[in-house]
Amino acid sequence: MLFPDREALPSQGFHQICKMKMFSVAHKTVFVVDHCPYMAESSRQQVECDVLTKSRAQGVIPLAPVSKSLWTCAVECSMEYCRILYDVYPKDKLVNYIVSDSEFHILNSWRREDQSTHELMSALAAVGPPNPREDPECCSILHGLVAAVESLCKITELQHEKRIALMDTADRVANRGRIICLTNAKSDTHVRMLEDCIQETIIEQNKLAAGSDRLMAIQQCELVLVHIYPQGEDTLVSDRPKKEISPLLTSEVHSVRAGRHLATKLNILVQQHFDLASTTITNIPMKVKEEQHANTSANYDVELLHHRDAHLEFFKSGEYLHMAGTSTRENGLKETVTLKWCTPRTNSIELHYCTGAYRISPTDVNSRPSSCLTNFLLNGRSVLLEQPRKSGSKVISHMLSSHGGEIFLHVLNSNRSTLEDPPSISEGCGGRVTDYRITDFGEFMRENRLTPVSESSHDPSGKLPAERAKAQLERHTRYWPMIISQTTIFNMQAVVPLANLIVKETLTDEDVLTCQKTVYNLVDMERKNDPLPISTVGSRGKGPKRDEQYRIMWNELETLVKTHAGATDRHQRVLDCIIACRSKPPEEEDRKKRGRKREEREDRTEKNGSKETDDKSWQDSERSVGLMDKDEQESEVIKDSPDSPEPLNKKPRLTSEEIQPPERTKGPVSLLTMWSNRITAVNSRKHQEFFGRASSVNSKFELYQHLKDENGMDVHENGKATR
Amino acid sequence: MPTVVLMDVSLSMTRPVSLDGIEEFQRKNLAVHGLNMLFEHMASNYRLEFTSLMAFSSLWELLVPFTRDYNALQEALSNLEDYDKTCVEAALNGVSNVVQQEWGSACPCQVVLVTDGSLGIGKGSLRHSLQTLKQRGDDKKFPLPFPFPTKLFIMCIANAEELQMTDAMDNLEELLCLSGGDGQIFTMEGPLCMKSVQTMFGKLIDLVYSPFHAVLHCGNLSSDVQVFPRPEPVVMDEEVEPMPRTVNVDEVGTGTTDELEEEPSASQMAGKSPNFCVLLHGSLKVEGMVALVQLGPEWYGMLYSQADSKKKSNLMMSLFDPGPEPLPWLGKISHLGPISEAADNPYGEDDSKSPFPVQPQVKRSYAQNVTVWIKASGLQTDVQKILRNARKLPDKTQTFYKELNRLRKAALAFGFWELLKGVADLLERECTMLPDSAHPDAAFQLSHAAQQLKLASTGDSQYAAFDHNIVPMHTDFSS
Repeated sequence: MLFPDREALPSQGFHQICKMKMFSVAHKTVFVVDHCPYMAESSRQQVECDVLTKSRAQGVIPLAPVSKSLWTCAVECSMEYCRILYDVYPKDKLVNYIVSDSEFHILNSWRREDQSTHELMSALAAVGPPNPREDPECCSILHGLVAAVESLCKITELQHEKRIALMDTADRVANRGRIICLTNAKSDTHVRMLEDCIQETIIEQNKLAAGSDRLMAIQQCELVLVHIYPQGEDTLVSDRPKKEISPLLTSEVHSVRAGRHLATKLNILVQQHFDLASTTITNIPMKVKEEQHANTSANYDVELLHHRDAHLEFFKSGEYLHMAGTSTRENGLKETVTLKWCTPRTNSIELHYCTGAYRISPTDVNSRPSSCLTNFLLNGRSVLLEQPRKSGSKVISHMLSSHGGEIFLHVLNSNRSTLEDPPSISEGCGGRVTDYRITDFGEFMRENRLTPVSESSHDPSGKLPAERAKAQLERHTRYWPMIISQTTIFNMQAVVPLANLIVKETLTDEDVLTCQKTVYNLVDMERKNDPLPISTVGSRGKGPKRDEQYRIMWNELETLVKTHAGATDRHQRVLDCIIACRSKPPEEEDRKKRGRKREEREDRTEKNGSKETDDKSWQDSERSVGLMDKDEQESEVIKDSPDSPEPLNKKPRLTSEEIQPPERTKGPVSLLTMWSNRITAVNSRKHQEFFGRASSVNSKFELYQHLKDENGMDVHENGKATR
Repeated sequence: MPTVVLMDVSLSMTRPVSLDGIEEFQRKNLAVHGLNMLFEHMASNYRLEFTSLMAFSSLWELLVPFTRDYNALQEALSNLEDYDKTCVEAALNGVSNVVQQEWGSACPCQVVLVTDGSLGIGKGSLRHSLQTLKQRGDDKKFPLPFPFPTKLFIMCIANAEELQMTDAMDNLEELLCLSGGDGQIFTMEGPLCMKSVQTMFGKLIDLVYSPFHAVLHCGNLSSDVQVFPRPEPVVMDEEVEPMPRTVNVDEVGTGTTDELEEEPSASQMAGKSPNFCVLLHGSLKVEGMVALVQLGPEWYGMLYSQADSKKKSNLMMSLFDPGPEPLPWLGKISHLGPISEAADNPYGEDDSKSPFPVQPQVKRSYAQNVTVWIKASGLQTDVQKILRNARKLPDKTQTFYKELNRLRKAALAFGFWELLKGVADLLERECTMLPDSAHPDAAFQLSHAAQQLKLASTGDSQYAAFDHNIVPMHTDFSS
């Protein structure tokens, strides 16, 4: 698990499985645009670009309107197609642009770096408009169409990557593609001739491809032939829906007048070809520009295109066609779902239950309403969108917002959620433990946050950045007690420098010095008998004596450092320093001491029922119950403080038998305590001590020590290793 | 994933099944027994599932709306009455309505149809429905497939031999096929008795309602978790990767639907020992952070604290679509590295900045001031912008040339040389109309710009290069 910044993930969940096959015909689109002399003809759609304002109109002869050539119309509409495509699918829906006159000119390649409208525009500028004086006999769209088929056989980066990845099932990588031919055909017979020629070329090229590694045979080709003719003329070519020419080739013919009809046609085609749908955002408030209307605002509409899955809910529920907001525009060819703008409340950082996020592209990208909306979103604002309903409460179904310079239409769940009313985590296991090191783990998460690493940067270890992040997590969690009462060292400011350094992969000499200083400082503290933040809760007394406290602390510190000692010599030096400096040699001294105390204790129990011995025998009884008693001990803690986090110094788990709180020897004791202590003290003598307990440190004994030897690493704290 | 239990309460369900004359049950009793077993199992192991109970004969009735109250469901089972004949189509229409009203059409749903396999006679029978499938208008379409993703489980209180004697089995198989094929038909094995009905429902429970256990690891810290709803396998691309991806239980966390909820499993760990999930949840909540979780090779999700109300919050897991780059603004997940390797903390020493979102290499069209002249207004606006700035020369020299070059580039790309000439003419006209008070530089810049546009409109490669920009004429009026 790794920790990115929450800001980066403002929505709760995403489900954007694209239904389109990875290698459907949409993976490769070849534009073949006619560059023959007749394309230089005027479209006869005139544009008045000299719009004179009234105040300046007198005495000025306005410029004659300009008109676009068929070529200009074809190019700008194809660019618009590409713009929308690249906005919605920035990757791996590829375009290869070819123009055809007396020969073919391939303007870009399938490579990802060649996929942008800027690249294409630059190449188109180099081609320039068709030369009307060129010999029409030498010119043909066929050159381009043949080149298009050849190009479809060329393998793309994605096809190559997937074939490599799939190894022996590489044949699952299909090769399909679409040819969009923008031309001025002579007749239906001419169109048939073009189709036949493509069919033949596919068969020829497929033979060639069979013997090549860098070529792939075409499995399916979709020809979309758009016949463009000037306004005011009759078409010589008839429309024809998609039909199968052969199992390899389908063909459809669209006969369209140049100008806005062509633009509309290509807009519809890009939606069909790439599973797009349209949403119109209505009621967008915008300041009016004209001076006479200063400070007033009017409402505008903006149309956006996006993957049609963003409308899934409407499609499926059958509401789509009947929705109040659905409108059919222009010549009845286009459908859009209307959603109403909801002015965002300021400072609301709500998380919405989001079921999908889809990239958008405005239909009319540089109109003022569109650019106002997109700039608003790019500046970090979000807009909720409401379904217009004739009656009933308002339903927010979508949200627009941007991430990293890209705008997404988010689908919000407007129905009941199956995740409603989840149980509280406190009802689950571990939910009633109240002294988790929440703040420390927060700090741990912040230290383990992630950041993007450039793909070009190479690490000497050969590991990917995410692997290195996981390795860091592993190092940082080798010894990480989860609750405050399980640890002493992580409650001590004095240990911080060492604890921060020891988890590093490598240490410098300076780091070792800092660690050693930390150890010396602890030695100093012990010499001065400074108090340690050791919990007394659950110990039925004031907690362990000062020297015992230090023994606990040193043991824990040693445990921490041991888990890293194997990493480098410098890590080992830190461990050596601790072993050399710590107050007492751990285990032996410990056992001796326990033996001595036990005698002492039994002695006293016989003599009197003093509080001190009560404590001792209670501890004994606890030991006799076996491993399970830990839970009982914890339940005591919880009784003490059911909900609030434990204060730092409450330490139920670290209590041990060596408690000798002198003050309490004089205190009164309940009859029940006296009785149960006596019973348990007697019982404890009736059986042989477990090996583990007899050789335990701090009433803890590390289980599965042999595993530790095998793994060469101690991942658990003493006593915690039981689970 | 919510469950609809659709219980056949037609008269045929009251047919007795006799076992050596010892005890006599109706098929209905067996069905109720099986369902009780299912509900009991869910109450203890799958209690977050929403389940509703519908009964049907020739009509249908919603007995218990979607609930997690399994007592209510069992209570309703014990009060079932007997009605007339079986009409599956009407009942399925009912299911479709009930589910869509509650969950919409995107939420996947499980339908458990409990029937004796006698599927009605004449009009309204399943046989009739299936025979007339193709003769229907849009208003009387067969309810399958449902608009929502469906898993259909048909529990037959009958054995397979009995169903195969008639066309009942064929019809049920066709029904399953119509619903999309996801699901199964269960029949009873051996004699119809309590034991065999238990076996049958046991199989359903194992297949569909077994709790999903996984282990959540964070370095050496870990916790056993149960994930609800159960993550389902995902097919990413039927062609390139036809095998569905499933969550690798050993690897890390879990799941496939949109959002999953994790509960630390109560079975594995003692009640009050500290649990990593609780620690993680607490810290995520306090810090307002999310944790990235890996579910398998190139499959990721995120963990965060989800609060339903102020009091209750839990650890939630949302799954991303499988793939190396599920959220474009994070970049490739494999290329997220520890901040300790960065020279400077990318979050800033005081958490004032963030390395996210990762910006795409190429800006989207709406972020880069593209030129589109599809509509006349687009072209007019661009020309007017140039003229407006032309009238404010030399103050607006920079903006004037910026807009001029933008128009020039687009006109060259579109092969729209006529426009270049037209704008050159306009600039020359502006030049002649300059007021006497105009700065002398204005005239120089206008005629310079006009001349450059005219040169570009010849297509001469020296002047018509796309990447070439017209630069302001160097003038010096200071002396």
